[in-house]
Amino acid sequence: MSKHTLATLVAGLAILILLPFTQSNYGVFVLCSWLVYSISAMGLNLTLGYAGQVSLAQASFMGIGAYMTALMTMAGVPWPVAMIAAMVLCFVIGFLLGYPALRVQHHFLAFITLAFNALVVLVLRNEEWLTGGTYGIVGIPRPEVLGLPTQTPLAFYFFVLALFVLMAAALYAIIRSPWGRTFKALRENPIRANSLGVDIRKTTLLAFAIGSSYGGLAGSLLAQLTQFIDPHSFGLTVSLKVLLMVIVGGAGFFFGPILGALLIVLAPEFLRFTEGYYLMIYATLVIVLMVFCPTGLLGLVERARTALKLKQNPNATTWEAGR
Amino acid sequence: MTKTAIASIAIAMAISAGLPNISWADTIKIANVIELSGAGATVGSNWRDALKLAFEEINAAGGILGEKVEVTDYDTQTDPTTSRAMVQKAIDDGAYVIMGPIYSGSVKVNMMVAQQNGVPQLTGAEAPFITDMGNPYIFRTSFGAQQSMPKLVKYLTEEMKVKSVAVAWVNDDFGKGGRDSFVAELEKSGIAVNADVSSEVGQADFAADVIKLKSSNADAIFAYLHEEESARLLKEIRKQGVAQPVFGETTLMNQKVVDLAGDAVNGVRGHVGLSANAPIPGIEEFAKKFEAKYNYKPDHNAIKAYMGAYVVKYVTTKNGKVDRQAFADALHGMTITPADEPGILMETSWDDKGEVNRESFLVEVKDGKQTVVTTLPKL
Repeated sequence: MSKHTLATLVAGLAILILLPFTQSNYGVFVLCSWLVYSISAMGLNLTLGYAGQVSLAQASFMGIGAYMTALMTMAGVPWPVAMIAAMVLCFVIGFLLGYPALRVQHHFLAFITLAFNALVVLVLRNEEWLTGGTYGIVGIPRPEVLGLPTQTPLAFYFFVLALFVLMAAALYAIIRSPWGRTFKALRENPIRANSLGVDIRKTTLLAFAIGSSYGGLAGSLLAQLTQFIDPHSFGLTVSLKVLLMVIVGGAGFFFGPILGALLIVLAPEFLRFTEGYYLMIYATLVIVLMVFCPTGLLGLVERARTALKLKQNPNATTWEAGR
Repeated sequence: MTKTAIASIAIAMAISAGLPNISWADTIKIANVIELSGAGATVGSNWRDALKLAFEEINAAGGILGEKVEVTDYDTQTDPTTSRAMVQKAIDDGAYVIMGPIYSGSVKVNMMVAQQNGVPQLTGAEAPFITDMGNPYIFRTSFGAQQSMPKLVKYLTEEMKVKSVAVAWVNDDFGKGGRDSFVAELEKSGIAVNADVSSEVGQADFAADVIKLKSSNADAIFAYLHEEESARLLKEIRKQGVAQPVFGETTLMNQKVVDLAGDAVNGVRGHVGLSANAPIPGIEEFAKKFEAKYNYKPDHNAIKAYMGAYVVKYVTTKNGKVDRQAFADALHGMTITPADEPGILMETSWDDKGEVNRESFLVEVKDGKQTVVTTLPKL
């Protein structure tokens, strides 16, 4: 990592630390949702952007994580145990869900994950004895970190921010590791990757499992943020929203899902002044973006840079300029 | 990782720092946190229009304690999590009283936030648990299902001599709450439940549901769904030529259902907490004003909102100050009569849990119009 990159990262972190002080409680709430959805989208980015598996089940992992954390913390289990247990459970379920992914690809895989999401919502709704059914669970406690309560919006924001930074760093390490390169090889050309000795089975399963555990953590945090969960909060629409975050931001770019989540969480806020029209304007903006830039916002930036380099050095191939 | 990526995030965040947080001086701020989009848009727009009408009247008459009232709409999108954020936003904006929402699932989530901040909330929700949670800042504008269902079951047993019922309900907080209260009342009266059919919010096809209801051979069908689904269910019931009488509670005879289902609603009977067709002078006058202004007939949600606005006016004027705590304290155990405040339309009381009590009506829909059969006394 260059000195320059490091400096920008530190500046970015400083902004994240100072930003909530300029906001009302509502503003802090919105920032928290952004960070939480970013974590979920980062996980999906690993599955989709790096390993190339289309999953429509990210919300179901958020649901599993949320209910697990809620039920355990409300039963008196300390929050770190509950949240780690939620992540482990999602890892295991993600691993198992990865098996069909070995047999089917692309839209068939999307259907399987879609069915899984519907299944999870039905279980959450019908197993009333455990999940509270349609009524959901109210009054989920917020954790106490190092003896400090996180009841206030600001304290909870810093709790979420710390986990966000931790998870982002972990993901960065994964992507830079040989594992990350294996994921990318798998996305680009599975047969060639196999010929180079990549274990496709293991890699696919692992991408699914890690991505799912990110979803589980996001769910845990969401449960504590809103202090309420119901099956509806983890339906297909939410899965599609997370997918949209990854695609709008730029699948396969490290900062793609974070930028995507920012736009998708905040855009309705900016457009709220248009009153009844905001959903229409918002939908139109997404369509326009997808038509003109299927690789997402960061893809657009990348494209501009490549074009600039090609102009400076007309003899270079597109591939070289893209490096 | 690119510098551009970080720069774009930084810029976006810098913009977000400017999220609007404007405040006005010398006005009383009322937050209307309501369903303006999503599945609840029908009920939410009725509520909003009536609330606007009421506060325009109040402002035209000099406001409350000489101050103008300013109403801000916050759209919950019929989503509990969004509604929680909207209540937070309303409190940040300095709301004196929060009006709404109507969907019970949303109220359950956001009433905690209002409670933590000590902001009174007048809700249109009907699920029983809302007043059972011991929140001293929540007040109903409509009956909870636990109050209306006994009235209906009494009518079914005593007037209709019904021995068995088939129940159709929508599987969300509203429908489940109503269904549970209703079935519990049936059990007390020894009436059998021959079929128990749940459906989804937004469900379009009720063919299979109606077959189940029809083949249950129950003496009557009880339907407890939201407006749009009620209309679809009733149409299907008529299509399949179901012979059993159909009963409901408030929403089933709602004006919106009449508008959507047309002739299919005729003959439906049930209990309503409020009706624009009630033989009460105040309500008749309100319905006229509302229809003249908005060109459609108000439903019970509109009446609830209109009365709610005048509750805010009456209690605040009586307290002589704009004080949230004083408002919540005063409204518990209070009875307001139309003689005290004409805008209240009907004599209404609140108990120590914020539960509302007033006369209600048994109605039958005839020629697309709610006709009041009996006026039931206060509990």
